[in-house]
Amino acid sequence: MSQEIAIRVRGLVTRFGRQTVHDGLDLDVLRGEILGVVGPSGCGKSVLLREIVDLQPVTAGEITFPYFEEHNIEPRRGVMFQDGALFSNLTVLENVEAPLREHTGLSPKLRAEIAGLKLSMAGLDPSAYDKKPAQISGGMRKRAAVARAIALDPELLFLDEPTAGLDPISAAKFDEMTRDLARSLGLTVFLVTHDLDTLHAICDRVAVIYGGKIAAIGAIPEVEAHATGWVKEYFSGPRGRAAGRGAAER
Amino acid sequence: MAAEAAFDFREDERAPVLALRGDWTVDTIARLEDDLLALSPRLAAGAAVDVSQLGRFDVAGAYLVDRTFRDSPAGAQTRIAIRGQHVNAMRLLQAARKAYAPPAEPPPRLTGLVGLFDAVGRIVADIGEEIIDTLGLFGETLIVLGRLVINPRRIRWTSIVAVMESAGLNALPIVTLLSFFIGMVVAYLGARILHDFGATVFTVDLVAFSVLREFGVLITAILLAGRTDSSFTAEIGAMKMRQEIDAMRVIGIDPMDALVAPRVIAMVLMTPILTFAAMMTGIFGGMLVCWAELGISPAMFFGRISEVVPAQHFWVGFSKAPAFAVVLAVIGCKQGLSVGGDVGSLGKRVTTSVVQAIFMVILMDALFALWFLEMDW
Repeated sequence: MSQEIAIRVRGLVTRFGRQTVHDGLDLDVLRGEILGVVGPSGCGKSVLLREIVDLQPVTAGEITFPYFEEHNIEPRRGVMFQDGALFSNLTVLENVEAPLREHTGLSPKLRAEIAGLKLSMAGLDPSAYDKKPAQISGGMRKRAAVARAIALDPELLFLDEPTAGLDPISAAKFDEMTRDLARSLGLTVFLVTHDLDTLHAICDRVAVIYGGKIAAIGAIPEVEAHATGWVKEYFSGPRGRAAGRGAAER
Repeated sequence: MAAEAAFDFREDERAPVLALRGDWTVDTIARLEDDLLALSPRLAAGAAVDVSQLGRFDVAGAYLVDRTFRDSPAGAQTRIAIRGQHVNAMRLLQAARKAYAPPAEPPPRLTGLVGLFDAVGRIVADIGEEIIDTLGLFGETLIVLGRLVINPRRIRWTSIVAVMESAGLNALPIVTLLSFFIGMVVAYLGARILHDFGATVFTVDLVAFSVLREFGVLITAILLAGRTDSSFTAEIGAMKMRQEIDAMRVIGIDPMDALVAPRVIAMVLMTPILTFAAMMTGIFGGMLVCWAELGISPAMFFGRISEVVPAQHFWVGFSKAPAFAVVLAVIGCKQGLSVGGDVGSLGKRVTTSVVQAIFMVILMDALFALWFLEMDW
């Protein structure tokens, strides 16, 4: 991990009508790190993600990509949505091929092979490639969604609640897969989650959104040590302690 | 800016070397595919890849290099020998090799005559299944309606009124307008043909007979098939996809009670009203043409109708309305409940629903015509 800043958010304000979601939020995501973003339901984690990937306009403030601007690279962003959002009329393989088809001039054969490679990296078995999203399990759908998100080799990978709804074993495997992918492909990962085990297992740093701002940011032990209020409750509640113990045993 | 991807091939004293230059990313490698394919056989055992001149590199680039080596005589090597230094080349080449999975065998496809028989057989079986399922739901609907007659407190009036408004009242303008045009068309036809026989006054009979017996109810039913039946399928189908129907069952709400029965009841109540409106505007359209083209005044027009067209013709047409209503509602709901998990099946079911509904309406109309003819009504 370097000290180069991949994503910089400054003075971000988001309002829906009279409801203020973000109120002057500042955040730096370092290049090559896995940043876990946590916070109570409705604090604007997913909204922040949507704003960074340009799916939603900000009310005020700015979001920039300093490292990529410096090196004159268009930062490619891959997103895995909460429910996968796979195109239900395409097969799993075609789903991963879709971005390749749209953005590259690869031959159909090479395109299918690269899509297959991405699916295999995401941990899917070749027997699932020709199935429709509705025919595979939720865990497999999430893996396929990750494969589609990394189809174009993005520099930035956004994961929205990747382990929600998975059994603990699948979730642990999914975490492992995310970490391996991030390390081997050199990805910067912005990971929105509620899963404390995921935080402990794979995140380099954690950012806690509370009250429209980043309430705490840093490596987990650091954040825990200086925790107050909601952050303290979050990490030292029964679930937080259990996840911490689990991580320590590993 | 991306530098173009390129490569040099040289044979060292020891082994062949593939030297990569420029950026090898998913955007740049498309051109190289054929050249690398041609090069592959020349990579003898011990071949290496030189990455010292390599710019940006990603999984797609790594895969292409890996594939070139895998298909070559050097493919037996478990890892590619790398010369030179690069930030991530080694890591990505390893990741690509590790994740490579040979493609699965595609299932054998039946071709030729056997394939044709297979396809036809499947279609016939599907149609048979479809008929049985639809009849099944029809029976179930009758039972539910019977239960509601015995226990009227379970009737969901709110849903019924809502469907009556969206499926019935809101269809009134389009149904009456179209029927008006059909009445005019029939009158023009009559005026044209009967003029040759000098019997233009019979245009009135033609308009009244055709609109009352057939067109009023048929136009209404076909429009409802396109408009209301499709929306029933789409609504119930979307609920099915989002597991709302499962949620109802778990809570103890019978979807037949909550979704199907109100739609059937509302349709049975509204279709006759729409049919009546369609008949009136159809005759009105015919009357305007008779007045403008044939000089038959409205008074004469209605006088002749009451003289020569007995009320039974009205009842013949009108009595078909509730029957069509039940069929339309049941087909719409049945197709909605058959929607699977994906968007494709929703689209397919809506299409099937409309096609089946229109088919059934016209088929039933033909059977009714036969029946009324035999009964001499």
